[in-house]
Amino acid sequence: MMIDFPPRLRARTDLPTTDLRSPARFLLWLMRIQPGLIALGSLSGLVWFLPPALAPYAVGRAIDRGILAGDVGSTVLWCVALFVAIGIGTTTGILWHTLVVRTWLVTLYGTMELVVAKVAELGHVLPRRTPTGEVLSVSSGDSDVFGAVLEVTERTIAAFGAFVLLVWLMISTSPKLGLIVLISSPFLVASSFFLLRPLHQAQEVERKRSSELTGRVTDIVAGLRILRGIGGEETFGTNYATQSQLTRQAGVATGTWQAGVQALSVLFAGMLLVVLTWQGVHEMAAGRLTIGQLVSFFGYAVFLLWPIQTFFECVQRWATGLVSARKAVMLLSLRAPWLEPEHPAEIVDGDLVDPVSGLTVRQGRLTALVSALPDDTAALADRLGRYLPRSEAPPADVSSDEFKGRAAKRERAKRMAERAAIAARDAEVAHGPWGVTLAGTDLSAFRISDVRRHIAVCETSAMLFAGSLQRNVDPRGTATRDEAEEALRTACAEDVYDALPDGWQGEVEERGRGLSGGQRQRIALARALLAEPPVMLLVEPTSAVDAHTEARIAARVAERRRGRTTLVTTASPLWLRHADEIALVVDGMVAVTGTHEELLAGSSAYRDVVARGMETTPLAEVMSDV
Amino acid sequence: MSSDLLATSAETWRDGPDKEPLPPVLTRMWEMGGKPLDERILGLRERYLVRQQRARDYFASTRSPKRGLPVAPSSAVVTFVRDLLATRRGLFVGLVVGNVLAGVSGLLVPKLLGNLVDSASNGGEVSQFDRIALVVAGIVVLQAVATFVARRVSVVFGQGVLASARERIVRFVLALPLSRIESSSSGDLVTRVTRDVQTMSGAARDALPAFILEGVLILLSFVAIIINSPLLALPTLASMCLLVFVVRWYLRRATKGYVTEGGTYSWINSTITETVEGARTIEALQLETLRQHHTDDDLGVSGQAERYTLTLRNLLFTTLDYAFQGPLIGIVLLGTWGYGHGLVTLGQITAAALYSQQMYGPIDHMIQILDRLQMALASTTRLLGIAQVPPDRVTGDELPEGDKLLGDDLYFAYREGRDVLHGVTLDLTPGERLAIVGPSGSGKSTLGRLLAGINAPRAGSVTVGGVEATRLPLPVLRTEVALVTQEHHVFVGSLHDNIVLAREDSDSGAVREALGAVGATDWIDRLPEGLGTIVGSGHYQLTPAQAQQVALARLVIADPHTLVLDEATSLIDPRTARTLEGSMHALLTGRTVVAIAHRLHTAHDADRIAVVIDGRIAELGSHHELLDLDGEYAALWRAWTT
Repeated sequence: MMIDFPPRLRARTDLPTTDLRSPARFLLWLMRIQPGLIALGSLSGLVWFLPPALAPYAVGRAIDRGILAGDVGSTVLWCVALFVAIGIGTTTGILWHTLVVRTWLVTLYGTMELVVAKVAELGHVLPRRTPTGEVLSVSSGDSDVFGAVLEVTERTIAAFGAFVLLVWLMISTSPKLGLIVLISSPFLVASSFFLLRPLHQAQEVERKRSSELTGRVTDIVAGLRILRGIGGEETFGTNYATQSQLTRQAGVATGTWQAGVQALSVLFAGMLLVVLTWQGVHEMAAGRLTIGQLVSFFGYAVFLLWPIQTFFECVQRWATGLVSARKAVMLLSLRAPWLEPEHPAEIVDGDLVDPVSGLTVRQGRLTALVSALPDDTAALADRLGRYLPRSEAPPADVSSDEFKGRAAKRERAKRMAERAAIAARDAEVAHGPWGVTLAGTDLSAFRISDVRRHIAVCETSAMLFAGSLQRNVDPRGTATRDEAEEALRTACAEDVYDALPDGWQGEVEERGRGLSGGQRQRIALARALLAEPPVMLLVEPTSAVDAHTEARIAARVAERRRGRTTLVTTASPLWLRHADEIALVVDGMVAVTGTHEELLAGSSAYRDVVARGMETTPLAEVMSDV
Repeated sequence: MSSDLLATSAETWRDGPDKEPLPPVLTRMWEMGGKPLDERILGLRERYLVRQQRARDYFASTRSPKRGLPVAPSSAVVTFVRDLLATRRGLFVGLVVGNVLAGVSGLLVPKLLGNLVDSASNGGEVSQFDRIALVVAGIVVLQAVATFVARRVSVVFGQGVLASARERIVRFVLALPLSRIESSSSGDLVTRVTRDVQTMSGAARDALPAFILEGVLILLSFVAIIINSPLLALPTLASMCLLVFVVRWYLRRATKGYVTEGGTYSWINSTITETVEGARTIEALQLETLRQHHTDDDLGVSGQAERYTLTLRNLLFTTLDYAFQGPLIGIVLLGTWGYGHGLVTLGQITAAALYSQQMYGPIDHMIQILDRLQMALASTTRLLGIAQVPPDRVTGDELPEGDKLLGDDLYFAYREGRDVLHGVTLDLTPGERLAIVGPSGSGKSTLGRLLAGINAPRAGSVTVGGVEATRLPLPVLRTEVALVTQEHHVFVGSLHDNIVLAREDSDSGAVREALGAVGATDWIDRLPEGLGTIVGSGHYQLTPAQAQQVALARLVIADPHTLVLDEATSLIDPRTARTLEGSMHALLTGRTVVAIAHRLHTAHDADRIAVVIDGRIAELGSHHELLDLDGEYAALWRAWTT
C-alpha cells in the first residue's frame, strides 16, 4: 500500500528514520519514505508524454502513406493509432497527475508534521534556539519547496525518457534536420538567459517596494484607532499613495524586462520553425525528405522544448530545495536539553524548597512572593517549576538582504556558533542537579513530564488558542460543566462567557484576539485552576485586571486552593491579605518572611515595596499633582 | 457579579468528545481497499459530492461573515472596474491594437509556411523557397517586436489599474467609522488588506491584461482557422464547443474549490503559528499531543479540499487533452477526403495542424486566467465591503460653545435588549479630574467611550459645549475630547508626520513646541535627520519612552480640553512611567481628565470618583466623601490599605 496524504508520520514505524546528516540527504529521505509513489509517478509521467511526442510521427505517416498516396485504409489505420495513443496518454495523464499531487502533499504535510512534533518536543526551549519566524517559514514555505523538488524530479525522469525517444526519431528520419533541432533547442530555452540578470534585479527592487507597501498598509491598520481617533488620515493616505506609485514604477520596469524575454522567445521559436521549414523544403526538393516527415518535424520541434525546459527547471528547483533543506535540517536537529533520569523518582507532595534563594513554598499553603522588580519573582517561579531562565533571543539566520556570498557564509557560521553556545550552556544547566527540591528530592531526579504534571507555572500572559470557550477553559475535555462553571466563577470570568454570543461554544479567535487583556488573563486563570495541579505557581495573575475584580479573584482563588500548595507573585495588598506566608525577595534572595500584618509592622523594605505598588500607579502620580 | 451571567451554561455546554472534523463518509475512504470495483467507484462519486458540498458551504460562509466587515455584491466590482478603466481609455485601445498586431503576425506564419510546403510539393523553384522563407522570417521579427510592444503596454495598463485600486481601498480603510474600529478586532481587516489585496493585485496586474491578450489571440485564431480552410476548421470548432461546456462546468466549481483549499492552508498556518508562539503555554499545560492532533485534523481537512480540486483538474485536463489532440485526427481524416477531391491542399492541412496545436497555449492560459479572475472577484467584493460599513454618525455644522462635557441619562447596548448602561448622568466641571472605577463588565469603559464621542448612546445625550458629541465632525471632535488608548504605535513615516495627526497643517515650529512641552527636545536633536527622520517598523527605532513622548506630543497638537484615559489600555507603560511623569504632567495641565481607573490609587487623588456597578453610578464623590459613605469603594479601599 503506497503512502497517502496526510502521511501521519508519527504513527508509522515502517519508514526509515529522518536523515538529518545533510540537506541533500534530507531531500533523499523525503523520497525514501515514498519509493513506490516516486517510481510509479515517474513511469506514468513517461507514458503520458509518449503520445504527444509520437503524435507528429503518426500525422506525418498519415500524410505520406494515406493522403498523398490516396490510401484511405492507411490513413484510417494511422488515425486509429493516433486515437489509441491519445487515449493511453490521457488515461495515464490522470494517473500521473494524481500520483504527483500525492507525492507533493505527502512531502508538504509530512514536513509540517515534523515541524509541529519538534515544537511540541522543545516547548519553552524553542524560542531559546531559533526565532519563531524561522520555524514558521519551514512549515509554511520550505515544506512547499520540498513538494516542488520531488515533483520536478519525477517530471525530469519522465522528460528524459521522452527526450531520448524524440532524438532517436529525429536523427533516424533526417540527420540534418535532427541536428538543427537538437542543437538549437537548448539555445532556444537559454536564449533569454542574458536578460534574466537585469530581470531578477528589477524583480528584487519590486519585491522590496511591494513588501514595504504591504508593511505600510498593515501599519495603517495597526494604528487605525489613532488615525481615526486623533487624525492623520490625509498624511498617511498620501504616504501610502506615494509608496504605491513607487511600487508601480518598479512593476513596470520588471514587466518591461519580462516583455523582452517573451518577445525573444517568440523570435527564436519562430525562427526555428522558419529555418526548419526552409531547410526541409530544400531537403524535399532534393528528395531526401517526404512532406509527411517535414510536418512531423514541426511537431517534434514544438514538443522538444518541453523536456529541455524541465531539465533547466530541475536544476533551479534543486538549488532552492537545498537552501530550504538546510533550514529544515537545522530546525529538526534541535534537541531538548533534558536528560531523563535512569531511575526516575516517584513524585510525592511536599514543600518546594530553593536553597539558593532561601525560598520555601510550604505544602498546602498560599505563599506570596513580593519584589520591587516583578521580573525577579517571575524568574524565581520559573526556577521552582524547572524552566530554563528567560534569555535574549538567539541570532536570526542570515538573510540575503544583509550579506552576500562569502560574507554571508562567514556571518552565518558565526551566528550558528552563537546558537550552539546557548544550547551548550542550557545543556550544562539541565544535565546537573537543578537545585530545587520537592519533598527533599531534587527536581532533576523526576521525569520532566512528571514535574510538569505536578507543578504548574502559570505565566502572566499565557496564550489562549483559537477554538470554543469551552475548549479554552477545558482543553482536554475532561471536566464536567459544574467544574468548569466553578473555575470561571473563581477567575471572575463570567462576563467573558456573557460577552460571547454562543456561551461555551462561543469562538475565541486565535491568540485570544478580540478579548481584552484582562479577559484573556482571567480565562487563562480559569483554565489553570480547572487543571487542579497539586502545586500551582501564579505569576502576576491579575496584572491586567481592575482592583474590584482583583479583590474578588484573590479571595476566591485563596478559598478554592485551600489545602493545596499555591504560590502567587504579586505586590497587590488585595492578594497579600490572603497569603498564609509572604516572602520578600531582594536581588533574587529571600530577605524576610511573614504574614502581611507582620511584615507591614516589622519590615520597612516590605512596606516600601507594597506601598510603592499602592501609591504610585503612574496615572495616580499625575492625577495627584496636577 | 451576578451569577445569571452563566444562565445559559447548561444549553451551550457540550459533554463528550469534540465533533470529528470530517464526516465519516470521507474518512471511510481508507477502508475501501478490498471492496469490489463498482462499490469503489460509487464511493468515489459519493465522496466527490460531499467534498463539493463542503466547498460550497465554506465559500458561502466567506461570503457572509458572521463577524467582521460586510462583503459587497458582485455588481459593485463591475462598477469599480469600469471606473478604473474609464480613466485609461487610451491605454486600453493601445492594448487591444498591440495585441491584434502581434496576434495577426503570429497567425500569418503557419499560413505562409503552409504555402511554402505547397509550393515545394508542387515542385516549385528552389529560389522561390528562399524568398518565401525570408518573408516569413521578416514577419517573425515583426511578431517579436509587436509582442514586446503589446506586453509592455499591458504592463503599464495593469500596474496603473492596480495602483489606483489599492490606493482607493486604503482610502476606504481610512474612512471606516470610528465606533466600528473601536469595537472590533482588526484581524478581518488585516486579512483583507493583505491577502485579498494580494489576490486582487495578481488579477489587476496580470490576469486582466492577459485576458484581453489571450482573448484577442483566440478570436483571431478562430478567424485564421476558418480562412485557412472552413472544412479543416470543423474538427477544431467541434472540440471547442465540447470544451466550452467542460470549462464552464469546471469554472463553476473551481473558485469554490480553491477558495476552500486556500482557507484550509490558512487554518493550518494559524494553528501552527499558535503552537509555535504558545510553545511555553503548551508545555506548561501539557497540551503537546492535543496540539499535534489539532494539526493532524487540519491536514486531514486540507487533504480533502485538495482531493476535490484534484478531481476537478483531472476531469478538466482529460478534456483538454482530447480537445487539443483529437482535432488532429479529424484534420487528417477530412484532409485525406478533401485532398482526394481537390478541396484542400497539403499546405492547408499543414497550417490547420499547426493552428490547432498553437491554440493549446492560449486556451489553457485563458482557463487559468478565468479562474484567477473569479478568485479576484471574490477578494474584491471583500475589499469593497470595507466601504459598505454604514456611517456611525450624521454630523451637523453647529460648533461647541465652551468646554463643558455633560452625559445625561445615558443608556447603551452592544446587543439589542441588553443594556450595559442604565441611565448614567455625569456632569463634568471644566478642569476637574474624575476617576471611574468598578469591576470588569460594569460598563465603565463603555461610559468612557460615550463621553469621548466614539459611540452614540442608545438613549440620553453626551454634549460638548452644548452640542451632541456625535454630531460634531471628527476633525472638530478630536480637538475637543480625545480618548487615549493604545497610543504606543509609531507609524512608518517622518517624525513630523507622526505628530501632526490632529492638525495636519501644523508647521515644524508647532511640532518642536509640542515635543518641547513633553520634554522630548534632547533626543530629537540627536536624530539623523531631525523631524524628517523616518521612524516606525523597519526604520529608525524609537525607544518605548520616546514612542510615548511622541504619543503625548500628538495630544498636545490636538489640544483637546478633555482627555478620557483608559488605564487598562492607555499609554502609561509602567516600565517607562517614571521618566514620563513630567511629560504627562505637561499634557494634563489645564485640561479636564476622565480616568477609567484599574488601580485604586489612580482614583484616590481624583477630584471626584464615580463607582460604576452593573451599569449604574452607585457612588459619586471625593475620596473622603466615599470613605464616609462606607459603601463599596470604602470596603475596597480598606482591603487595599490594611
